[in-house]
Amino acid sequence: MDAVFPTRDAWVAAYRERWLAHYQATGQIDWKLYPALTLDSAPAGKAVDVTQASVLLISSAGGYIPQAHAAFDATNDLGDYSIRLIDTPYAPSAYHFAHDHYDHTAVDADPQVLVPVTHLLDLQDAGLIGELAPQVVSFMGYQPDVGRVVDEMIPQIISVAHDLRVDAAFLVPS
Amino acid sequence: MGLIARALEVAGIATVMTSWNVSKTVAVAPPRATMTRLSRGATLGNPGDAAQQRRVIAASLTLLAHPAPIAPVMLDEQ
Repeated sequence: MDAVFPTRDAWVAAYRERWLAHYQATGQIDWKLYPALTLDSAPAGKAVDVTQASVLLISSAGGYIPQAHAAFDATNDLGDYSIRLIDTPYAPSAYHFAHDHYDHTAVDADPQVLVPVTHLLDLQDAGLIGELAPQVVSFMGYQPDVGRVVDEMIPQIISVAHDLRVDAAFLVPS
Repeated sequence: MGLIARALEVAGIATVMTSWNVSKTVAVAPPRATMTRLSRGATLGNPGDAAQQRRVIAASLTLLAHPAPIAPVMLDEQ
């Protein structure tokens, strides 16, 4: 993970000593104590021909399908680091959103502002992308412990991407 | 999202993200990104504006044709 987050150990130590320690002592969140996350250079990667690529949609909007999944723990001050895999036949209108850290007005009116499944299937049908991967990776993007993101969630996402044999990923934060 | 993009790229999967949060996006140096002046909670465009959402998606996916890293691309979308 050095190329991904080279300052991980120092960041985690600062997070635990400052933000987390304050929260555990007081039950209060103080963002002034949160360590900045700044990385200098992006890792290198290959180009892909998107017209031939299998593309994985990754959303941090907290989307889930109530009939298929438990909701994310949206009210947890310490975050939720789990993922849900949502089959792409589920239309965006089937999604519910468990995420207390953004205004849901827009996504309630039009879920494609955050989970553009129908748009991507249209691009697939038009031959502008090879295919949309058969599942969407969904998580709830309130995750103050970046160490846990790296240690717990990212390995799950990479495993899913490999299992689905995708060539590319399109990441849509909320 | 930037860290996830970085990790996938290292794992051999090309990535692109789009964001309304310019400073936070730049801070984590994702391999490829578009940025907009859209709003939190409406990352791809305004609700009901499918044409705008498609423009943001298309502009983002176009960046996959370039080897990473590339500088983030600012889109004229708000």
